[in-house]
Amino acid sequence: MSRPAHPHAMAPKTPGKTRTAPPQIPASWWSTSRMRAYLAFDATGFVYLLVGFLAIRLVWALGSGQGAYDSALGALENPIYIVWNVFALLCVIGVGVRFFRLFPKAQPARLGPAKPPPGPVIHAGLYLAWIGITVLLSAILAGGLFA
Amino acid sequence: MREVTKTFVLTRFDPDQDEAPRTQEYKVPVREDWKVLDAINFIKDEIDPSVSHRWSCRMAVCGSCGMMVNGEPKLTCKTALSDYGDRVEIEPLANFPIVRDLVVELEGFMDKFKSVKPWIVRAKQKAAEEGTYRQSTEELSAFKQFSMCINCMLCYSACPVVANEPEFIGPAAIALGHRYNMDSRDEGASERNQRFREEGTVFSCSYANECSEVCPKDVDPAAAVNQAKFNAVIDWAKGLVMPKGGS
Repeated sequence: MSRPAHPHAMAPKTPGKTRTAPPQIPASWWSTSRMRAYLAFDATGFVYLLVGFLAIRLVWALGSGQGAYDSALGALENPIYIVWNVFALLCVIGVGVRFFRLFPKAQPARLGPAKPPPGPVIHAGLYLAWIGITVLLSAILAGGLFA
Repeated sequence: MREVTKTFVLTRFDPDQDEAPRTQEYKVPVREDWKVLDAINFIKDEIDPSVSHRWSCRMAVCGSCGMMVNGEPKLTCKTALSDYGDRVEIEPLANFPIVRDLVVELEGFMDKFKSVKPWIVRAKQKAAEEGTYRQSTEELSAFKQFSMCINCMLCYSACPVVANEPEFIGPAAIALGHRYNMDSRDEGASERNQRFREEGTVFSCSYANECSEVCPKDVDPAAAVNQAKFNAVIDWAKGLVMPKGGS
């Protein structure tokens, strides 16, 4: 079963003499596992938007004085915020894993005389960088650095 | 060899009679080693000669027999019927205007395809007596994967951007353009990169990767499109800082 696609998808610049039926797409286009994963990946943009608002709220509170900032931090201890932040973390991990999976093959075959390292080396480098940055930020947030 | 009867639901559209595409069911006794194309050919030869579909080589080389099989773009000569249940829906490739039954309009693709100059561009052609353009194995390996495209259009059918942005020139055209950009004999990369920086080209791709998932020849068009993004940006940057764009 099909449903209409964009009526001008893959239309020729000059229409032919024969009448054609408009393009179609499968009615179940969104239900394949690959497409569901892609839609979920795209939908995480909304999560980041809301996380951004949360960050702005914290910055706003910081500018409003110590009391307001402490109150905002206190509000983050609410279980709803904790669940939300865990969900946002899962979204980031999901997007990161997808990005890392697709990143190596998007590298140019060569840049001047230089060739990119093999895919597994790029993968390992990306994950090491991710772990390194996470450890660094955790150390800063825990007060171990720049305290 | 064992035979089973399967139901095939084919899209039918006669531009002289039908307002819109409709479906028609056929019961076909299929052998277990049949491909989907064998069943469609059986329908046309033995049941209903009015069914229209494209096919030619039967060995996944010509790229003619691409169709939607149970909602997924497939080369029907390469798709085993044993992978499907008792009911198989066969539709024309998604995202293309339908000419008749399972045959789609390919002129739109040809317009997009020509716009990336998918041939070797030389500033000055060598005379025949000067010999051929030599190329090392390593130079060949830089683009060989992308030259395996058979223009079967499955990638266009799978691409969510093609479905929504009619201007998008699409995976195969970009992959072929990138293939020539990577060819050591070619001198047309600047022209193509300029085309790639225009609207509806490489930067319209959202890297859904569906084109590569359905490609029957493992061309990996998504890799080509995203490499082409990088090269188009580098080419633009070179044009800013180097005389004649560094070429």
